[in-house]
Amino acid sequence: MTDSNQTATKGGSQNPILARLSALGNNQSTVLVGVMILLIVVFSILEPKFLSVATANNILTDWGSVVLIAVGQTFVVISGGIDLSVGAIVGLSGVVAAWTMANVLGLDQSVKGSDAYGALFVGTLVSVGVGLFVGLVNAFLINKFKIVPFIATLATMGACLGFSVILSNGMPIGSANDFALISAMAPKSNPLSWAVLVVAIVVTIVGLYLHKSRFGLYTYAIGSNTFAARGAGINVERHITKVYALSGALAGLAGIYVYVRLGAGSPSSGTGRELDAIAAVVIGGASLMGGIGRIMGTVLGALILFTVQSGLIMIGVAPDWKKVVVAVLIAAAVAAQTLQSKNGRK
Amino acid sequence: MKRSARTAAALGAMAALALTVAGCAPAEEAAQEEISIAFVMGAESDPFFQAMKLGAEEEAAAQGVTLIWQGDPSNYSPETQIPIVDAVLAQQPSGLVLIPTDPKALQASVAKAVAAGIAVANVDTRVDDLTDVVTFITGDNKDGGAKAAEALAAKIGYTDGKKYEVVIGLTSATATTNVARLEGFKEAVASTYPGIEIKDVAYSESNPEKAATNVNNWLTKYPNLAGIFAIDGTNASGAAAALEAKGLVGKVGLVGYDAYPDNVAKIKSGIFTALIAQDPAAEARLAIKALVEYIKTGKTSVEKEVVIPNFAITAETSDADVAKYTYVAGK
Repeated sequence: MTDSNQTATKGGSQNPILARLSALGNNQSTVLVGVMILLIVVFSILEPKFLSVATANNILTDWGSVVLIAVGQTFVVISGGIDLSVGAIVGLSGVVAAWTMANVLGLDQSVKGSDAYGALFVGTLVSVGVGLFVGLVNAFLINKFKIVPFIATLATMGACLGFSVILSNGMPIGSANDFALISAMAPKSNPLSWAVLVVAIVVTIVGLYLHKSRFGLYTYAIGSNTFAARGAGINVERHITKVYALSGALAGLAGIYVYVRLGAGSPSSGTGRELDAIAAVVIGGASLMGGIGRIMGTVLGALILFTVQSGLIMIGVAPDWKKVVVAVLIAAAVAAQTLQSKNGRK
Repeated sequence: MKRSARTAAALGAMAALALTVAGCAPAEEAAQEEISIAFVMGAESDPFFQAMKLGAEEEAAAQGVTLIWQGDPSNYSPETQIPIVDAVLAQQPSGLVLIPTDPKALQASVAKAVAAGIAVANVDTRVDDLTDVVTFITGDNKDGGAKAAEALAAKIGYTDGKKYEVVIGLTSATATTNVARLEGFKEAVASTYPGIEIKDVAYSESNPEKAATNVNNWLTKYPNLAGIFAIDGTNASGAAAALEAKGLVGKVGLVGYDAYPDNVAKIKSGIFTALIAQDPAAEARLAIKALVEYIKTGKTSVEKEVVIPNFAITAETSDADVAKYTYVAGK
């Protein structure tokens, strides 16, 4: 137990309670919260309407889909890998779920509100199932054929895109939906939606799993030093399989989230999202070399990403400049953390 | 049995030779053979090309010619298209319908085909030099943009002297169709609806969820927003979803582009004021008709450049027209 605490806090205090406290207020998260507050202040000065419940709802709604795949990506990155297929999984799982709801259950977009719950439940199972399956294929390619994760997941990314186009003919498939699930609970006072609440719960559970379980400890161990992990008796292949399966399943969950948001499954629903997820993970302080990363960092990283995107639209930055500004902010966030960790940690 | 078949074949060959020697015109000779038309489009995954495929298949069947349909699965780029054109030309089709993904890069492919005696037509997009091209058939995106402005003005009850805030969702700065539609929209606004103010544009990067994000932020920034012009199918889907989630259906005018079945259904429920539809199937039909005519007779009645207008589908459009313009999934 002492061992795991030491690993989790990177050699913090021996006292488990103090260790936990220092993990909570860990420097990395403090920096990120600081950046977040700074951004909100700046955007609010430039555009007073930014400081509103509606903006909070906009940001959280965007955050919901990307944080799911970013949390999965965090596990993968900590284990020393990368999963490029997650964006394509969002598209494919949404399309398969929509196709099932439209063609197997025979429901079209006129089915709304609570009438849609049964169909959405089926859609969720299908969507998560598709994601889980693709995750297992990724793990199979990596473990069995020793294909590096970058190439293996690039291949499945292409296959997922292809299948989603074949199934949908490139067009959105609409079916039963309840848009109230994605709307703010109270547009004037509560920016949360039911869908975002579910995402937050899932992220919390998965986060605890990474930081409090043996599964998480093994993930760090494999990412830090695969040979040592193997020597310590960890079944590396089996563990890698679980990591990619989790990433795939979370991408599948993001697939049904985006379906609910759009009322349709579209092959382009996840276009470019793998890069947003990786950006969130990196802003959150994880190392692409493996062994380092925290869920809280990723959660805040995704929030910062969408605060910036929302803020830039709100203050009226020309769209051509938006990408440049986002890129500079990502670089700045990462550089700030590197400096901070050099000074703050041994 | 085998021998008799061979004899028949030999006789046939001799007969053909005799006919040629007898001095048939080359065009008529071609008519004796089976005509095959190769169709190289931009990207298979685009519903626009799926609809085009249906039109091409219909016309090929009607004309009794073989259709070779080819193109990259998802990449709209000359790098992937040029090798595909080369492979298709190696099959020696009688004609080639080409949707050049780049006006300059594909010029050499056109020259290569013409040098090999293959008649070439351009559809949707064109090569710079049309001298050797039988016909160029395209949709009028600029006119589509103007039709969108007209539909939006009707929805918001445009009256001179009043100000209306409008935003436009684009896919990227470089999509040529987006640019033409935007130009048409802006020109119509400048000439006919000067009270419409285009407050902002944003890019969806081909992702409908990002299109929804843009609209969400606009709705927060512009509480008096009168209308949205969603310039393609992706933006249309995203904008429609954003209005539904914010409970603003019918309160903010929304004109979209591309007649995806899922979006066409949203005209009836009042989410879309109008959808501007192209007619890719008609473009393909006309191109094949022109080429077959040209291969058979050496000339064609189809004009050198044909512009097929875009069509605005609204709640008043007849069911027959809605069915005609809705993009049907090709199989």
